[in-house]
Amino acid sequence: MSPGSAEGLGEVVLTSRQIRARVRQLGRAISRDYAGQELRLVSVLKGGVIFLADLARAVTVPVTLDFLSVAGYGPGAHSSAVRLTKDLDESIVGRHVLIVEDVVDTGLTLGYIYEDLQRRRPASLKVCILFDRPHRRLVDIPIEYHGFELPDRFVVGYGLDWRDHYRHLPDLVALSPALLREAAGEIALPFG
Amino acid sequence: VPVVFAHPIEAEFARILDFYRVRWEYEPKTFPLEWGPDGLVKLCFTPDFYLPDQDLFVELTTLNPRLMHRKNRKVRKLRDLYPAVRVKLFALRDVRALMLKYGAVPAVEAQPESAA
Repeated sequence: MSPGSAEGLGEVVLTSRQIRARVRQLGRAISRDYAGQELRLVSVLKGGVIFLADLARAVTVPVTLDFLSVAGYGPGAHSSAVRLTKDLDESIVGRHVLIVEDVVDTGLTLGYIYEDLQRRRPASLKVCILFDRPHRRLVDIPIEYHGFELPDRFVVGYGLDWRDHYRHLPDLVALSPALLREAAGEIALPFG
Repeated sequence: VPVVFAHPIEAEFARILDFYRVRWEYEPKTFPLEWGPDGLVKLCFTPDFYLPDQDLFVELTTLNPRLMHRKNRKVRKLRDLYPAVRVKLFALRDVRALMLKYGAVPAVEAQPESAA
């Protein structure tokens, strides 16, 4: 099956309309909590960008944006430990910072980012995630704003990818069983 | 002393934790779960990993879901008898998702119940 093909997709799990409505709610909550303050939204490339773009426009307090990128674990990792491959452009000392992430499951990456940013002495540091899989959490991170709890399925779209494909989809969509079977075969784990 | 893991998935899990600088211990504690009339332990459970910074035990399994009842029973009993102990069971679906997410390629198959 070719990467990024439509046949790799299954059913829609959350429609773009449902996601938009929840993002607006999160924007209202954040605007209320940070009333009278300026907020720095920090997104983690690449997955968080689409959520950040919509969330930033749903927030009514003044915001600035910044980005970082992390080299995660995998066969192509060029390092023996997690590290930033792109740091923030601006200092966050004394700033109110909100980390904006698309999805959290184990919390390993977010835990690393949270600790790293906390050491930079922001005035406050909170986390906003759109999609959550708390039952797989290994590292506890205080999460102030949640969007949706995800079902136990591999999903793509709205920033979430499968081998860097499907991020652009407006809906959240399950990967097809055929694609998952193919992928599970590659890592020699049974699919069931 | 190098840790000898019982299963390749456990070794991969340890590598992932190391990568993210999460401290771990391998099978550091055995919890008695059932005792016979003579007071001897009949059933016990040794979770695979302990993450001290999270105060969390983690049990990984690649058991076929149909064979999970004994493992689930052990985890339930552990939670009943030791309510202060935090334990997380990563079932086959979770292990597979973890390996898909991190692109790891350990050569493993589903285990018969007695082996995992």
